[in-house]
Amino acid sequence: MELDPIQMDALAELGNIGAAHAATTLSQMLMSPIEMTVPEVHAIDIADMHNYIGSEISAVVVFQIQGEVADGGYIVVSMPQEAVIQLTNQMLGTTDIGREIDDMDRSAAIEIGNIMISAFLDATAELLGIVMLPSPPALAIDMTHAAFESIVAQVAGDVNDVLIFNTELESEAPPIHGSIYMLPNTELMHQLFHMLERLMEPIS
Amino acid sequence: MGNNFFGEEKAVILGLGELRVGTCPMGTIGLGSCIALILHDQRRSLGGLAHIMLPESRGNPDRPGKFADTATNTLIEEMERLGSTKFAIVATVVGGASMFEFSANSLNIGERNTTAVRDVLRELGIRIAHEETGGRVGRSVYYWPEGKGRIIVKRADGTCTEL
Repeated sequence: MELDPIQMDALAELGNIGAAHAATTLSQMLMSPIEMTVPEVHAIDIADMHNYIGSEISAVVVFQIQGEVADGGYIVVSMPQEAVIQLTNQMLGTTDIGREIDDMDRSAAIEIGNIMISAFLDATAELLGIVMLPSPPALAIDMTHAAFESIVAQVAGDVNDVLIFNTELESEAPPIHGSIYMLPNTELMHQLFHMLERLMEPIS
Repeated sequence: MGNNFFGEEKAVILGLGELRVGTCPMGTIGLGSCIALILHDQRRSLGGLAHIMLPESRGNPDRPGKFADTATNTLIEEMERLGSTKFAIVATVVGGASMFEFSANSLNIGERNTTAVRDVLRELGIRIAHEETGGRVGRSVYYWPEGKGRIIVKRADGTCTEL
């Protein structure tokens, strides 16, 4: 999967707009400022995945990208367990941070992920002038790498590298940290580039 | 990442779709729907590990470790080149979990991977000595080919089992 710097840039910018909207919704829900890192786009060989995606325990919420685009791309929100507990506490007004993850946390992780990713896809789709929708969410609370394996198996069946867009979100109070990943499969990626190129053409 | 489990310098961590045959310690970290297939030859204290991602290669030869059929065959070929015979080889199969709740769709590929690996092993007449597959839990696997071979499975909740 060869990407030129302009394509990388275009994809990072697209993701940037999406992630900014996702961060805004998170900020509104938590009623606190959210810092966001500059998004990165990497083409990663599947054999090197474990150098990018760690094996610490996280809540991983996965959505397939659907709508007026080729099926098969995925978008993921992952948060460390402590962050999920902080999130639930913030929303429910509880304070216990030493507890185990419970059903309420699972539900909160899914709901927050759903709201963030809907905002992400809404913003990017509006820019591209198409409809993009998230599938119903799927949740795993486990080693991050283990959860990503099933996604990579879907997008990298015929190719040996995956394109990963990644940005990190952080709030200081409550201390919450999370990441958004986008893994387009080959068809979706080409479709996105095609649309982005059209956007960048000078108006005649 | 987190490669200090072994405490050994020569240990090799195999990524998605990789395989290796030899006498050095090897392992995979964060197995979800993928399978760690370990073939061990007791007589020669050597073995191989493949980090299998999908059930079928459908004729795609470029990453043998990625698919159940090509990975198993390649491991055996390479072990035979080092002097192993099929009769001395036993298999251990770990992984193949279904990681996602609320997801009936294609993300739960672990079960298909497990079935594919079992089928290939049966066709080749390789005995499965140990198996820890399925469930909804991520695992890491560590394998030392020395002697009888030692395999440790570490689950996401921190529990370890020696197989």
